[in-house]
Amino acid sequence: MTAPTVGSRVTPQMLRRALEGRRVNVVNPLVAMTLLISLLASLAILVVLLWDVVAKSMPVWQERGWSVITNDLSPRPAETGMIQGIFGSVMLTVIVVVLSFPLGVAAAIYLEEYARDTRLTRLLVANIRNLAGVPSIVYGLLGLSVFVKLILEGLVGQVSGRTLIAGGLTLSMLVLSIMVITTQEALRAVPLAIREASFGVGATSWQTIRHHVLPVAGPAIFTGSVLALARAFGESAPLLLAGAVLSTFFAAPEGTPLTELVVGQKYTALPIIIYNWSRQPQQEYVALTAAAIVALLVILLVVNAGTILARDALERRNRM
Amino acid sequence: MNFAGKRPLRWGAALSALVLLAAACGGDDESDVPAATAAPVADGAQAQDGLTGSIEVSGSSTVEPITALVAEKFNGAHPGVGISVEGPGTGDGFQRFCAGETDVSDASRAIKDSEAEACAQAGVEWVELKVAFDGVSVLTSLDNDAVSCLDTGDLYALVGAESEGFQSWSDANGLAAELAAAGLGGSGAPYPDAPLVITAPGEESGTFDAFVELALDDITEARGQDEPTRVDYQASANDNVIVDNVSSNPTSFGWVGFAFYLANSSILKAIEVDGGDGCVAPSIESIADGSYPLSRPLFIYVSLSRLTENPALGPFVDFYLGDGLSSVAEAGYVTLPDQEIAAAKAAWGGVG
Repeated sequence: MTAPTVGSRVTPQMLRRALEGRRVNVVNPLVAMTLLISLLASLAILVVLLWDVVAKSMPVWQERGWSVITNDLSPRPAETGMIQGIFGSVMLTVIVVVLSFPLGVAAAIYLEEYARDTRLTRLLVANIRNLAGVPSIVYGLLGLSVFVKLILEGLVGQVSGRTLIAGGLTLSMLVLSIMVITTQEALRAVPLAIREASFGVGATSWQTIRHHVLPVAGPAIFTGSVLALARAFGESAPLLLAGAVLSTFFAAPEGTPLTELVVGQKYTALPIIIYNWSRQPQQEYVALTAAAIVALLVILLVVNAGTILARDALERRNRM
Repeated sequence: MNFAGKRPLRWGAALSALVLLAAACGGDDESDVPAATAAPVADGAQAQDGLTGSIEVSGSSTVEPITALVAEKFNGAHPGVGISVEGPGTGDGFQRFCAGETDVSDASRAIKDSEAEACAQAGVEWVELKVAFDGVSVLTSLDNDAVSCLDTGDLYALVGAESEGFQSWSDANGLAAELAAAGLGGSGAPYPDAPLVITAPGEESGTFDAFVELALDDITEARGQDEPTRVDYQASANDNVIVDNVSSNPTSFGWVGFAFYLANSSILKAIEVDGGDGCVAPSIESIADGSYPLSRPLFIYVSLSRLTENPALGPFVDFYLGDGLSSVAEAGYVTLPDQEIAAAKAAWGGVG
């Protein structure tokens, strides 16, 4: 048994009560609680969505196994599959990466690092921000009239311009403005001191950007780009207008080389298949639609997770 | 400061890796596409015969299931021919057809004068080929002796937009009298005082659309209503559920595609329908000669202008009118009688 010391009579609670008066802090826990509830609500929606599609798609995975992924489209629901849509979506994404990533990053670097703050620049920036808010269906109309009709069927002279390249160009337009904006934000977050230090030892603008600004902004640019790509991957409205095949059956001629599949053949995409299956009358399509949604979500999650891992690895190496 | 030069290179490497990875995935899938295309074939004995090209079909979503099945079988026999079959609707289909964009146009009605004019102006010549019939059978239980014939006014009074809330057949008597006064039918009234238990396809179904178009649309429009049907009935996407419910309740009401009724005609009673020329029971004969009011012919239109440019199109239509017609029953529609098939073949033979 230890004898109580004089100091132990003043507990921290007593001290706090003395300092705060008798008031109980209500606001702080209330705010924290509200914020937590908001977070849980959005998580709950995600969980319900996932649970719903996974549960609905279970019969398909059990009966069909992988064949629902690897089969071609068929008018018979028991034999249909989504490989053509996965192929189309992946190729569209590749086209979007190749086209809009370099263009978007370059445009953002120009706007942030080189362009003077003139009325013209401000007009350009305002325009790009507006473009990012344009509904995607409008880009579909642009794709149909410019890429499909004007360029491919008009100037190039193809019989049908409803090809992967037209769809890819359309989605690139859609993603480009988002790419520019996220890159701009990433560049803006780089501390000015880094640039000043670089200029201070006599580096040129390009040397500063290349060796000091881009490495710091890189992870943020990367993350923004992946979010933009995920958007392109899940879009269906612009593709419907720009000529993706909305059907329970379509086939390219056997043995068509890859380049011809991209520039000369009709195509479909995973979101288009989801939309088409969801409106079919047969009972089997309820589970098939859920299975296609699961496939889309899994591909997106894998790509996102892969990018996050790659980004973290790069960040660690940059810190050395 | 020696670390400075390496960072951007890493980023470049990371990005090109991403692009390459995506390209590699694409490459893998690509090899699957043509291989899997040939999978489900009815008569796969025919080897690749060198027939190449691509065929584009658009038009009626009602006909799409038939043409898609035909296309799949044709593609199985001739894998060198690429085919796409879409179903945006008969009108949209003709718009693209007459602009010379498609080879074949599916249609659930004959071409309109305005559409034919557009085709003529664009220099697109065509041939019309009847391929199937679409019929809707109105059903009740075998035990229901009180009702044997209804006209379109009666159907509207029982399930149309204004019938909402009618629990008993006789609840529709007032509405039927109103329709009769306006000359819109309703001759089946007075209806029996018995519970009205409706099980029918939901609005996502093609049979729902066909019933609405063939039986209700004219009256719905004349009455200034917006909804295609009442909404308070049991809708089922499963035809077997409809058959079960209709057959197990003595005063039931429902409708299914004619082909499905035919398969279950021993346990169901089909109500005769009066389209203005007397009561007609649904049968293959009455549907084929057009006397049964809730039926319509289904067509394909073949572009003769594309026939000369596209070597695959002729064989495709040959196949459609030959082995392909087995797809009609498979898709749940009414097969043409032999003389109609001969007529279609003759019409095609005259041009193809």
